[in-house]
Amino acid sequence: MDEKMSHPDDSAEATRRDFFRIAIGVLGTVVGLVLAIPLVGFLVGPAFRKKIPRWARVAKVESLPLGQPAVLSFTDQSSEGYLRETVVRNVWAVRRSATEVTVFSPICTHLGCRYDWEPNSGRFLCPCHGSLFGLDGKVLAGPAPRPLDTLPVKIENGELFVEWERFELGISRKIPV
Amino acid sequence: MPDRILRWIDERIPLTDMVRRALDEEIPGGSRYAYALGSAILFVFVLQMITGVAQLFYYVPTVDHAYDSVNFLRTEVPFGWLIHNLHYWGANAMIVLVGLHIARVFIYGAYKAPRELTWLAGVALLLVTAGLVFTGAPLPWDEPGYWAAEVGTSIAGTVPLVGNAVKQLLRGGDVMGPLALSRMFVLHVAILPAILLGFLAIHLAAFRAFGSVGPWDESKRKNTGEFWPDQAFKDSVVTVFLLLLLVSLCVYAPPPIAGPADPLDTSYVPKPEWNFLFLYEALKFLPGRLEPLGTMGIPLLGVLALVLLPFLDRSPERNPLRRRFAMAGGAAWVGFVLSFTVIGYLSHPVGVGGTTGPPPSGSPSSLSPSAREGSRLFGSLGCVGCHSVNGKGGAVGPDLSDESRRGHSRAWLAAQIANPKSHNPNSIMPPYPTLGDTQMNQVVDYLMSLGATAPSAGEVSANPPPSAATPAPPAHPARRAAPPSVPAAPPAGLAPTNPSLPPAAVHGVGPLFSGSPDQGPPGPAASVIGSVERGAILFRLYCVSCHGSDGKGGVPNPGAVGGAIPPLNPIQRKYFSADPNEFAANIDRVLQHGAIPKGPLPEKSMLTFGTTHSLSQEEIANLEAYILSLNGVERARLRHAGIPPETWLLIVIAAFTLAAGGLLVIRALRLRKSAGTR
Repeated sequence: MDEKMSHPDDSAEATRRDFFRIAIGVLGTVVGLVLAIPLVGFLVGPAFRKKIPRWARVAKVESLPLGQPAVLSFTDQSSEGYLRETVVRNVWAVRRSATEVTVFSPICTHLGCRYDWEPNSGRFLCPCHGSLFGLDGKVLAGPAPRPLDTLPVKIENGELFVEWERFELGISRKIPV
Repeated sequence: MPDRILRWIDERIPLTDMVRRALDEEIPGGSRYAYALGSAILFVFVLQMITGVAQLFYYVPTVDHAYDSVNFLRTEVPFGWLIHNLHYWGANAMIVLVGLHIARVFIYGAYKAPRELTWLAGVALLLVTAGLVFTGAPLPWDEPGYWAAEVGTSIAGTVPLVGNAVKQLLRGGDVMGPLALSRMFVLHVAILPAILLGFLAIHLAAFRAFGSVGPWDESKRKNTGEFWPDQAFKDSVVTVFLLLLLVSLCVYAPPPIAGPADPLDTSYVPKPEWNFLFLYEALKFLPGRLEPLGTMGIPLLGVLALVLLPFLDRSPERNPLRRRFAMAGGAAWVGFVLSFTVIGYLSHPVGVGGTTGPPPSGSPSSLSPSAREGSRLFGSLGCVGCHSVNGKGGAVGPDLSDESRRGHSRAWLAAQIANPKSHNPNSIMPPYPTLGDTQMNQVVDYLMSLGATAPSAGEVSANPPPSAATPAPPAHPARRAAPPSVPAAPPAGLAPTNPSLPPAAVHGVGPLFSGSPDQGPPGPAASVIGSVERGAILFRLYCVSCHGSDGKGGVPNPGAVGGAIPPLNPIQRKYFSADPNEFAANIDRVLQHGAIPKGPLPEKSMLTFGTTHSLSQEEIANLEAYILSLNGVERARLRHAGIPPETWLLIVIAAFTLAAGGLLVIRALRLRKSAGTR
């Protein structure tokens, strides 16, 4: 193709055209990069974004009964991509002392049912497959593969903050989803 | 190895031959920068395809998510600002380049035999491009996009006989709603691009069949150049400058965040983008029954002239100086479009026939100056927080849409405003004893105008927008529902705080909600990026009377701690956050649920805008964007820019400068080498 288009007998002309070909290649490559780099960032960026912990204020610590489980509701600003919603979540909290509170995810570690507190027996009972958990979250009976999942908590100025998380179900290790 | 692969392919399909056919073309008179327009359009089209498809990874074509998904990709996805803005500016560049391309082809007489088919395919491409511009506008479902489609489809509806059917077909029903958005989306991303590709193939094939037309002057046609690499080099240079221009526009003139579409917003006056301004201005000269002549007649005439041009102007003469009739016609058209675009740009919108419909009775444009001032006071004094007019405002007090017909005298109204308890001892309406005579008269004038003049039948447009036609109930359900209302809560409004009601009953929020203990949760508006510009307008209507001009405060509130209404500029520390999402959520709680100031018996309380539906969630989002801007926080801040826009522009400029420098060195070395061999 090149041999046909250039004029070998005119070396200045050939040099000029060679230069054009090189210039088109160089400029085309830079234009391509100027578009390709942002595109890659655009498509890849959000996929590997680290989750930022989001603390939700749940209750005043002093309002929780000592050594007794209490179900707490709180609003959480959930954010998935462009979807931002205010959702109401429930957790189980057990106040151990003035400065120590354990918060359990309300989801049974077996297959994801919502368990409840049995005040008579003093145990958590999952109605789906009969898993039983103690006040410390340990499995007492049933098919649950691991203890109840605890959620990250912090106490500031007498107020309890919880970070909502979900974990893989049906396995013995606690792995965040 | 590459040669072997190429040979292998060539033995199966004639690839080398096809490429040669595409590039091997003689240009009479040699290559020119003026011929680069076609390639520039092709480049922008490819750019639109790339940036368009990329946006589909994040964009959601539904009325409840479109706006948020676009803002998400613009502010939270790396380089989203660039991809989105390139698509926006690419579309604008496309219109300009197509216009210039047509003008050049016209001046060069390149539409004449045997190039008629190239021209006709070009006209088809122009129409498809216009279709892409039209269907792309509503996709972000923001205020200008929504109204552009609302007015545009209404214009289609003005065509005699078939208009209404076309309009309903475009909208998928009567109103601009979810079905309309789906239709615009499918047309924009699938059907029109496919048609465009088809015509592009015809356009390029027909162009390659007869090549460039070249200069009309025979003496200038003697030297021939070649497309490859001579013209291709010039095209590359133009492409580089075009890309630099587009990236600069993306950085320094990003499309504004225009606020979510609000079909019920009667304060929004739609005005078309620059590309349709000439038609918008022309319509002002063709009112009433002549309107279809403007809405469809002018564009149809233009298209018809373009289609028929090669068949009407059949003389082989290409010199523009000897084609006076054609050139005069072209110049007249360009003159009309340019001058009407400028006049349209400078003019203020007025209600014109089918484009905006008649103003509802009592709307500011139909009022006396005094009543208009009263209308403004009605907003700024907070009356609208409790009373609704034409479907807009609170529901605490009576609807005042037809106040003039309720049998109240002027004196009665003045007494009611100065001291509501004079008529009803149990009234919770706050008194306005400090209103001066002039202001009182203005408010009464406004109230007496409400419902006084119903629009006559002759004034009613065939297709008034829903906002003007039906005040209530809304033609569209509110897109975003208000947050859960507080149980049994009489909205606070500007009413004096009723001491018989405990605060918890007024605000009605239990310990269920986190955040401020006396506030409900943020509503949907908290996560919507509103428009600062729209927010400023709303602020002047609803907030200035209490929070002062620009939110500077200073308005007294006897009985409240501090004795004054808190300023919003700067805002109290407990609400402020440098994070726009958090800041918006903090003030959203107050805007949605209202608040009662601390103090023994505060005279005024914060209005409950959200749960009482006094303001739509879209309006609250706009107000929040404005309040954030007063405190130096950008609501639409780029949270994940990838590389900050200005830095990226510098990198791009540096890359091209480096490339150009390198090429100049190569050129110098080669020249020296070839001189040496000679």
